Amino acid sequence: MTKLLSPARSKVLFLGNEAIARGALEAGVAVATGYPGTPSSEVIESLAHVASERNLYVEWSVNEKVALEVAAAASFTGLRSMAVMKQNGVNVASDFLLHLTASGTRGGLVLVSCEDPGALSSVNEGESRYFARMLEMPLLEPSDFQEAKDLTKWAFELSEQIGNVVMLRSVTRMSHASGNVICGKLPVKSRKAHFEYDGSVMDSSRGPMISTPVVAKHLLHQQKLKAVEALFEKSPFNRYFGAAKPELLMITSSACFLYAEEAIEMLGLQKRVGILKLGTTWPLPPKLLEKHLRKTKKILIVEEVMPFLEENVKILAAGLANRIAINTFHGKYDETLPSAGELNPDIVAAALCHILKVKRKTLPANYLSDSQKAAALIPAREQTFCAGCPHRASFWNIHNAIALDGRKGFVCGDIGCYSMAALSPATGYHTMPTLHSMGSGTGLASGFAKLAQFGLDQPILTVCGDSTFYHAVIPALINAQHNRADITFIVLDNAGTAMTGFQPHPGLAISAMKEAVPAVDIAAICSAIGAKVALSDPFDLETTRKILTSFLADKGLLKVLILRQACALSPEKKGKKIFDVKVNELLCLGDACGCNRLCTRVFRCPALTWDRTTKKAVVDEVICAGCGVCASICPQKAIVKTEASL
Amino acid sequence: MKKQLLSNTKNLILTGVGGQGNVMASRTLAGMLVDAGYIVTIGETFGMSQRGGSVMSHLRISPDSVKSPQIPRGGADVIVALEPLEALRVLTVYGNPQVCVMSNARPVYPIGVITGELSYPSEENIQVAFQRLSKAFWIIDATSAALALGNPVLSNIVMIGALAKTGLLPIDRRMFEKEIKKTLAADKCAVNLKAYDAGGEMIK
Amino acid sequence: MGISNFGYPMNKKPGSQTKLKKDVLEQSLCTGCGACVGLCPYQVVYHDRTVQLHDCDLTDGKCYAFCPRTPANYGQIRESLFDISDVTPEIGAVKGYYLSRAADPALRAKSQHGGTVTALLGVAMDEGLINSAIVSSRNEELKEEGRLIEEKSQLSDYAKSKFTVSPTVAAFNQLMGDVVRKVGVVATPCQALALAKMKTVRIKDGDKINPLNLVIGLFCGWTLSVESFHRLLQLYQISPAALTGMDIPPGKNILELYTNESVTSVPMAEVDACVRTACRYCIDSTAEFADLSVGAARFGGDCDEMRGWNQIIVRSYRGKQLLELAVAQGALEIREAPASALQDLKNAAAGKKRKALKNIVEKSRSVKNLLYLSGDDPVVKKYLSMEKKKR
Ligand SMILES: Cc1cc2nc3c(=O)[nH]c(=O)nc-3n(C[C@H](O)[C@H](O)[C@H](O)COP(=O)(O)OP(=O)(O)OC[C@H]3O[C@@H](n4cnc5c(N)ncnc54)[C@H](O)[C@@H]3O)c2cc1C
Ligand code: SF4
Ligand code: SF4
Ligand code: SF4
Ligand code: SF4
Repeated sequence: MTKLLSPARSKVLFLGNEAIARGALEAGVAVATGYPGTPSSEVIESLAHVASERNLYVEWSVNEKVALEVAAAASFTGLRSMAVMKQNGVNVASDFLLHLTASGTRGGLVLVSCEDPGALSSVNEGESRYFARMLEMPLLEPSDFQEAKDLTKWAFELSEQIGNVVMLRSVTRMSHASGNVICGKLPVKSRKAHFEYDGSVMDSSRGPMISTPVVAKHLLHQQKLKAVEALFEKSPFNRYFGAAKPELLMITSSACFLYAEEAIEMLGLQKRVGILKLGTTWPLPPKLLEKHLRKTKKILIVEEVMPFLEENVKILAAGLANRIAINTFHGKYDETLPSAGELNPDIVAAALCHILKVKRKTLPANYLSDSQKAAALIPAREQTFCAGCPHRASFWNIHNAIALDGRKGFVCGDIGCYSMAALSPATGYHTMPTLHSMGSGTGLASGFAKLAQFGLDQPILTVCGDSTFYHAVIPALINAQHNRADITFIVLDNAGTAMTGFQPHPGLAISAMKEAVPAVDIAAICSAIGAKVALSDPFDLETTRKILTSFLADKGLLKVLILRQACALSPEKKGKKIFDVKVNELLCLGDACGCNRLCTRVFRCPALTWDRTTKKAVVDEVICAGCGVCASICPQKAIVKTEASL
Repeated sequence: MKKQLLSNTKNLILTGVGGQGNVMASRTLAGMLVDAGYIVTIGETFGMSQRGGSVMSHLRISPDSVKSPQIPRGGADVIVALEPLEALRVLTVYGNPQVCVMSNARPVYPIGVITGELSYPSEENIQVAFQRLSKAFWIIDATSAALALGNPVLSNIVMIGALAKTGLLPIDRRMFEKEIKKTLAADKCAVNLKAYDAGGEMIK
Repeated sequence: MGISNFGYPMNKKPGSQTKLKKDVLEQSLCTGCGACVGLCPYQVVYHDRTVQLHDCDLTDGKCYAFCPRTPANYGQIRESLFDISDVTPEIGAVKGYYLSRAADPALRAKSQHGGTVTALLGVAMDEGLINSAIVSSRNEELKEEGRLIEEKSQLSDYAKSKFTVSPTVAAFNQLMGDVVRKVGVVATPCQALALAKMKTVRIKDGDKINPLNLVIGLFCGWTLSVESFHRLLQLYQISPAALTGMDIPPGKNILELYTNESVTSVPMAEVDACVRTACRYCIDSTAEFADLSVGAARFGGDCDEMRGWNQIIVRSYRGKQLLELAVAQGALEIREAPASALQDLKNAAAGKKRKALKNIVEKSRSVKNLLYLSGDDPVVKKYLSMEKKKR
């Protein structure tokens, strides 16, 4: 039996995302959809595992908007459903979301957004809480693992109660942290799906699911949200900890609550500082806040990224101005807390020290100075493509083709493991100077390619991963073809969404629930659009380079090169070397003229190291994945590959 | 607020480089401790772990409450490192005169060291730093032990075995066996137990 | 980590490759000879461009040392290769000067002029002077490249001149350090100079065996830029694949382009526009650093008779030996050149020198800065002062 289905009352260590999944199961979720993205993926993954046992329908959708649409369809038939994504996914889904909040929903529908303050595994620190205010939907934020489960469960009930979507927001330090959770009951009965549409247009439980008449429905929507406010006044997920009359009140939500608690403990400020922890952060319950704002003059609002709580509390306080004396607000606006990046207990403690003029106990001075001395010895550990990564070979080829072509071509980047080529430029051999949202590499390329009439004569390339292709590239690619954009579009097909842990995508013949499904062929789509299509193995350096240089020289049309090679960490490859690879020391030129360490200085596979005493390259057998690519680049044929014995 | 003394909570940081099995090790340890009745909070940084970056798990082992998934600076009780440089990196941020360090001996060179832009501290410098910055430390060649068992990825289990032997955490072989029986395929249990024992043998 | 150093450590002294880029490539001085190519993974040739694939930070590298467009002590090179008494300012060392042609009419028919080059290579192979030859060939992309030939019978397949650059030295570089081979290379003047530098310039890594045994130089007025030349072909509706040869018949001021079906004449003015920029700064028209140099015989009244003959300059002992063997074997016919011929040749060569120096000074805007040349070299000094006087 999997952990996720542990019996009621058992105490289990759940990842935050597993706790969310468990909460959904306890609520009787029937349909769960999502698009993989760190730190959200484990919610759908863990539900997919138990799909057959729990009779769920779980899918990795092509993108977040479709995920929400698929989940909404289930809701319209009375089933409980949820759509799970990372912060920027909410932006992708937001067009539909705007209309969905206007039409309303039926079966409980929860939108889970797992966000990434500090961008630990993102290229943005997008904040989706503002969508709750903008689109007028309730927002819940768990602040520990038990709550992650309980709030998720309650979110479905709330959604049904108001007939609209409820948003649940988690953060990396919640989703990717683990803690103890006491399980509740899993329901035994399941609902039957049926879509009713004969009722009145104003009756979202029986009528058509549309947003018109817009103004009348909007008013109704707002009335319901008012009712939510009343519910939130009494919610057990909003709690106060501390003295009756503290000197300072911290208002916080999410993982920040744990930081706040820890900071108080560290500084021994239990008597002086109280915490109002909010689990329901939109709409804010005004009476509850009034009660707590009266407690003291000094308020510190602790939250990550944008000052969402701070602004909303201040708006409420302004409305209460004649009833409560105006308070001093500390937070992001007065720069007590940083306005970007994630928080931690140290940052919150520093804020407390600053406001309350207290000092934190420090380590002995000699320890600190030894520690600083040691820290000075530590080289940074830059991220790079893994040993055996097909992207390294792909970018090697791309770099060489661009250099040979000689017109200073460049690659418009996209989101996936290969983003590393932009994040750490030497890893991508300095070829990829742009990086934005999923699919925007192709859109940008399509734009760059139309600037020839203004004198731009650089060849334009763009890359995308297989999963990204389906997600958002297709419209941009059609745009490029239709507008005759001359671009070399490279699909880095590594047979899975590697970055987030090998979730299936439409290019594979298997679904999230491990069912056989038709694979949607990228090459066929590109050919159908009218592009010139070629396929190559990036490990075959010679062939790939030739195709690329011929594509760059072939002007005026859309060219597609699909570079296919499985990820070094893919389940079918992991731990299995194709080649045993060694350096022949006698042949290796090392740093002499004639090589100057091409392998370790330029190619940069982490498994190829440089022995500073012998001045020769060495393959680290523990790290080497046995791809054999380095053997093709060594000018001396000093890197020898032999078929690995299995 | 839940009242309890910080000293009651054990703070352990498990660190290494992407691909070394850091997450598996921390979840195995946590599983054992939860089973023993502790409230465990783990904070993991593994979003980019596949790509050779530093990986770190913060384990907070408390008799009674959930803790912040991030340990405050200077707040580690035990540091377990699958790679010596990462041990040092964590030690300089989370160390204090009372901390104990258990480190694998085998370096994984950062790309900047490989290219020649940066240098890796000498074995001797690492030892001196450990000595100055910890109450006790062990450096064991877990990777070689794992290679001897046929798979370098077992180094993480060798480290758990060694850690158990030190008595720094309330864990033992029986708990380990019970945990891996839950989480691993049956055919993998034997070699993992061997790795655990090999680790124990490396601690005198 | 700054982008400026591409993530590689900054060296105080600029690396050889960087210097090559600044002094040669960016100055449009690169002849495309291929001397810096194939020595290492960083320098490659693509079409007729020399491309730096990745940055290299080494100092005192071979690329800079071998390049014929980096400064060198020509006096020293002349001394080490030739009898210094043979050296003329116009055309370098001259041990002998003749008209020549291959004895075999079939070979003549396949070759550019008299087939002298191909015949000499054949004799050198027969006599064991060399066991491999590097000639010019076209690759699948219809671009010229050096080709290693080990069978005498194959030599004639690669006869005839290609007027775009053919990086034969790059092909030779692949053979550096080979202890078994004895190699002969067909070289334009810049290539002959590069090969001479490789023999004579001392660099740290120079302990590799240099298997070079023979350099047959080609007279050379200029080479054409591949891109411009292909555009020209397009204009005349000749596909590069159909092109079987080309020549500049004496006295007509045209370039003839041959295909199996047709002969097309292109006025010289149009051809001039396609000349590789680097060639404007070249002072050598007779491959002064080769063992023997071969060109077209193009003087006297009877153009058509001359068409099947070469003029040949014998420069070194090795060259003399080969010519004697070839005549003795009956592979080559030689005759004395008309009295005026040598002077005509010298005049033409001096003209190229003066013009190149004028172009160099125009480019650098100072008689003190002669780019890759040194004002101290007696030959340079001579033609520079003539140029100054003319001004
Ligand atoms: C770019 C160029 C410019 C020239 N300019 C002049 C000139 O201005 N005046 C003059 O008298 N002669 C010039 N020549 C020389 C002339 O064209 C003949 O090559 C020469 O007369 C020898 O003729 P042949 O019949 O003996 O040659 P062949 O027996 O036909 O042999 C020619 C040899 O040269 C090699 N070769 C062909 N093209 C190249 C190249 N681009 N680079 C290196 N090797 C090559 C061939 O592979 C072959 O081995 C030039 C040659 C070239 C390549
Ligand atoms: S590329 Fe080859 S010759 Fe150069 S350092 Fe690496 S192993 Fe040695
Ligand atoms: S074979 Fe070479 S390139 Fe591939 S993983 Fe091993 S060392 Fe790296
Ligand atoms: S020839 Fe030597 S110095 Fe020049 S680029 Fe190559 S390795 Fe570097
Ligand atoms: S002239 Fe020759 S050696 Fe110099 S840069 Fe050009 S190809 Fe290289």
